[in-house]
Amino acid sequence: MTEGDEAEASTGATPRVYKPEMPRGWWLRRRHYLLYMVREFTAVPMALWLLWLLAEIHRAASGPKAYYPAASPAFIVFSVICLGFAMYHSITFLSLAGVIIHLKFMGKPVPPRTIVGAMFGLWLVASVVIAAVLIGFAR
Amino acid sequence: MNHESTKVPKPAISHLIWWFLFANGGGLAALVLPVHILVQGVLGPLGVVHVVDRNYDTWIGILGNPIVKLYLLGLISLAFFHFAHRLRYFLVDLGVPAARTFPVQLIFYGGAVVVTAVTIWVLVTTAPISFG
Repeated sequence: MTEGDEAEASTGATPRVYKPEMPRGWWLRRRHYLLYMVREFTAVPMALWLLWLLAEIHRAASGPKAYYPAASPAFIVFSVICLGFAMYHSITFLSLAGVIIHLKFMGKPVPPRTIVGAMFGLWLVASVVIAAVLIGFAR
Repeated sequence: MNHESTKVPKPAISHLIWWFLFANGGGLAALVLPVHILVQGVLGPLGVVHVVDRNYDTWIGILGNPIVKLYLLGLISLAFFHFAHRLRYFLVDLGVPAARTFPVQLIFYGGAVVVTAVTIWVLVTTAPISFG
């Protein structure tokens, strides 16, 4: 963008919009692009698993005789696949906290590495607490 | 990445709201979802450990707890706002510019609203609230 264009844009004339051309399959060209798209895709299996959880909650509404917990090998395979994507989401999302969150402590910025470490620590604590509840209240 | 192209510069308030829900849903799911899948989806069905949802009495018991109901609502609802935002931009990245348009936003974020409503209905109708 030249100075003339900037002046034109600031005076209210319609700015020209840059439209990048993305060839089909661009994300297959580099490992880094592919991993980015895998990260974005993690939402799909995670959503499917949460919908299953919602169904598992709803099935308890029809009484003790109609309730049966899912136990088929297909369900376990489905869960293992979803677990892989959920773990990838956790690792990438919590690692980004170092870029997004900016904190100051005693007037000094907290290093991103400390923030990311705290997020992974929080992940561990939350996992232990939830596992304790899910297992501890079972009979 | 992910900038809405508007003719007249103005604060992207709606984008801010969707991004806030996206970030918090993504963060909560990142912290708690793997352990749910591992325990309820793998270890429980394999019989490695006893899990609360393997037995009707313990499952309905914990689902009656109001804190558990609020937790499940927060997790499922926020996660779906995260998914809606992420999948919309996933489609943009796959070369579907229509995913930026208002009707598609309505479908995706509206879908998250519908999932939230269904979750509230399921949680309210499944187990009576009890502190036991």
